[in-house]
Amino acid sequence: MFEEASEVFDNMFKTSFPLTFIVFIPAVLILVSPLPAEAAHEFTVYRMQQYDLQGQPYGTRNAILNTEARSVEAEVLSRRCVIMRLVDFSYEKYQKALRQSAGAVVIILPKNMSTMPQDIVQQFMELEPEMLATETIVPVYFALEDDELLSIYTQTLTSSPTQGSSTAAEVLLHTATANGFQMVTSGAQSKAISDWAITSLEGRLAGVGGEDLPTIVLVAHYDAFGVAPWLSYGADSNGSGVSMLLELARLFSRLYTYKRTHAGYNLLFFVSGGGKFNYQGTKRWLEDNLDHTDSSLLQDNVAFVLCLDTLGNGDGLHLHVSKPPKEGTPQHALLKELETVVASQYPELKFSMVHKKINLADDTLAWEHERFGIRRLPAFTLSHLPSHRLAQRSSIMDVRPHVDLRKLSRNTKVVAEALARVIYNLTEKGAPEDLQIFTEQMQVQEEQLSSVVDWLTAQPRAAQLLDKDSSVVSTLEHQLGRYLKDVKRHYVKADKRDPEFVFYDQLKQTMNAYRVKPAIFDLLLAVCIAAYLGVMYLAIQNFGLLYGVIRKVTQPKTKTH
Amino acid sequence: MTLFHFGNCFALAYFPYFITYKCSGLSEYNAFWRCVQAGATYLFVQLCKMLFLATFFPTWEGGAGVYDFVGEFMKATVDLADLLGLHLVMSRNAGKGEYKIMVAAMGWATAELVMSRCLPLWVGARGIEFDWKYIQMSFDSNISLVHYIAMASVVWMFTRYDLPKSFRLPVTVLLGLCVYKAFLMELFVHMFLLGSWTALLVKAILTGVVSLCSLFLFVTLVHSN
Repeated sequence: MFEEASEVFDNMFKTSFPLTFIVFIPAVLILVSPLPAEAAHEFTVYRMQQYDLQGQPYGTRNAILNTEARSVEAEVLSRRCVIMRLVDFSYEKYQKALRQSAGAVVIILPKNMSTMPQDIVQQFMELEPEMLATETIVPVYFALEDDELLSIYTQTLTSSPTQGSSTAAEVLLHTATANGFQMVTSGAQSKAISDWAITSLEGRLAGVGGEDLPTIVLVAHYDAFGVAPWLSYGADSNGSGVSMLLELARLFSRLYTYKRTHAGYNLLFFVSGGGKFNYQGTKRWLEDNLDHTDSSLLQDNVAFVLCLDTLGNGDGLHLHVSKPPKEGTPQHALLKELETVVASQYPELKFSMVHKKINLADDTLAWEHERFGIRRLPAFTLSHLPSHRLAQRSSIMDVRPHVDLRKLSRNTKVVAEALARVIYNLTEKGAPEDLQIFTEQMQVQEEQLSSVVDWLTAQPRAAQLLDKDSSVVSTLEHQLGRYLKDVKRHYVKADKRDPEFVFYDQLKQTMNAYRVKPAIFDLLLAVCIAAYLGVMYLAIQNFGLLYGVIRKVTQPKTKTH
Repeated sequence: MTLFHFGNCFALAYFPYFITYKCSGLSEYNAFWRCVQAGATYLFVQLCKMLFLATFFPTWEGGAGVYDFVGEFMKATVDLADLLGLHLVMSRNAGKGEYKIMVAAMGWATAELVMSRCLPLWVGARGIEFDWKYIQMSFDSNISLVHYIAMASVVWMFTRYDLPKSFRLPVTVLLGLCVYKAFLMELFVHMFLLGSWTALLVKAILTGVVSLCSLFLFVTLVHSN
């Protein structure tokens, strides 16, 4: 049987050997040509923002990365991927990398942002707007630190050639032992997302007592902003505002269910989307309500619009206005009531009014109330920040520990009390200044606030990530529906021809770090292999010598046989 | 890495075979087709082994890190088929002992090289990622050439009718060593937790010792008559 089998083999090889060779080898080569290389390390990276606002491009314009890693201290950075840790990050280094036309920048963030020293966090927070201010051609990525990534970073640090002191031998040894890393992203180039809809939510509590009641509008935007969308958790800005708005909705819905406490004011709640992109959601909502429909609460008799923005920390409350309210208006009444409540109940809290005119020449509006101000609605924003320029409002460092629940609930209480005093006209009715309405059963529930803030900060909430089916939007809708009537969605889509905002995809990618060696290493290896083969050749050539020696050794033994 | 790296590994793996073929004088005997036949037999034997293993050996589903001593030993025993195959090749070639041994070993080892190392090298050494294991693999192929030459010579000695009684035992021991060498290596690596370079060195030493012993026996046997 074996004989036959080998005969078959025989024939096959003798007759068609060249043919099989020609067919078989290229087929194999084609099959295996796309290289399924196993990466030394695979990790998730988050790309820097990329968006156009009013035709102006911001952020990084590129997503593809396939270059060798270098630390920022290395001499040549051009077309290299510069790796930095947050601890060593500075704007000068970042600029240096970009000036030297680096191929990409990867910034390694610590796993737990809240353990970082405060000065570094503060410094980075202030750099974020600077990094986004202009467009960057090369991709900029953020990665979360882990052991593998740290070891890659340290190996990159040590492998950056040190100048001067080393000898040629050291350099040679270095090339053989040191590892380089090729950083490769798997995704495609970033492209504009068409037809992106930003969702806003509205709900109301109708007042009682006749037609044409005055309306109080409460507004908070729910989206977050940071240098990387996938890392924008926006706890204080504006998770705190949304949670306060939901709590106010809960409190006033309870008041409005009883006949005796049902007031003569309509309350309109609006959770706006796209707040970090020049308040797109609010803008469209106003257009829809004021220009396109005949009857809307916003069209007639708006008492005031109160925007809630960044209220989860600090020991100050600032009422930002674009025009100081005149005496006798409801706006002025709320201002006075806020002052009264703060003075009588929370003397440690510093309350002030900040006046800033709307600057239409600016690219973006400072506060949300300015959107209403432009449409001649009396509006103001309440915030613990004294200025709209502060970096806390647009930072990836704004995570859950940035919200102090006690302060958030205190602020909520202040706003609720002041609103109630306006709605029920308590000052004119002669109620005492330190009258507390929201106590006992009606008190502000810290657990409620905390659960909302926890839920909001459990996922990144950048406007690019929250489409109309996202869980954040639907849960918000559900929450509003529990307290309010007529909960409606409003969508904003950018105009096709002249879009006001354009978002881009590829914001989260998988990056591979492949271990590589420099080209000189290959040459060195080739020389070594050539030497080894030479030695082999000599050894095989002179195999007779060994044979002879063994024969001599064994000769006496065979004689004794 | 690069194509250049693949070239390096390839040269390291293949040139010793080429040099051996040229220097051993096989080329003068026009032994190329004989070697190819030996390679074909190798393929056939491996196929039979695989079928046998797949049929009679259930997949070991023990916990990770647990070494299935008996199972591995049984699997190594199947490698006895290699001896049969080598014998088959040698029995079909007429000629001097050295010639038969060299043809069988060269064909056998080259077939193994082409079948089990060519593809990994092409895929792996050309990839972006650098790893020393491709250089190690190439060294390993050199070692296995020596291994198969020693094995073929032991088989040849074992099957000779005129093998003296005193040779019977050492030849059988060597035969066993040849067959269970891979198993022993695995055991060593597992027991002493050897690194890949140390394992390679141990393998080289082990193979060297086995081949030297078989060379002694061969020389003694050939020149005793």
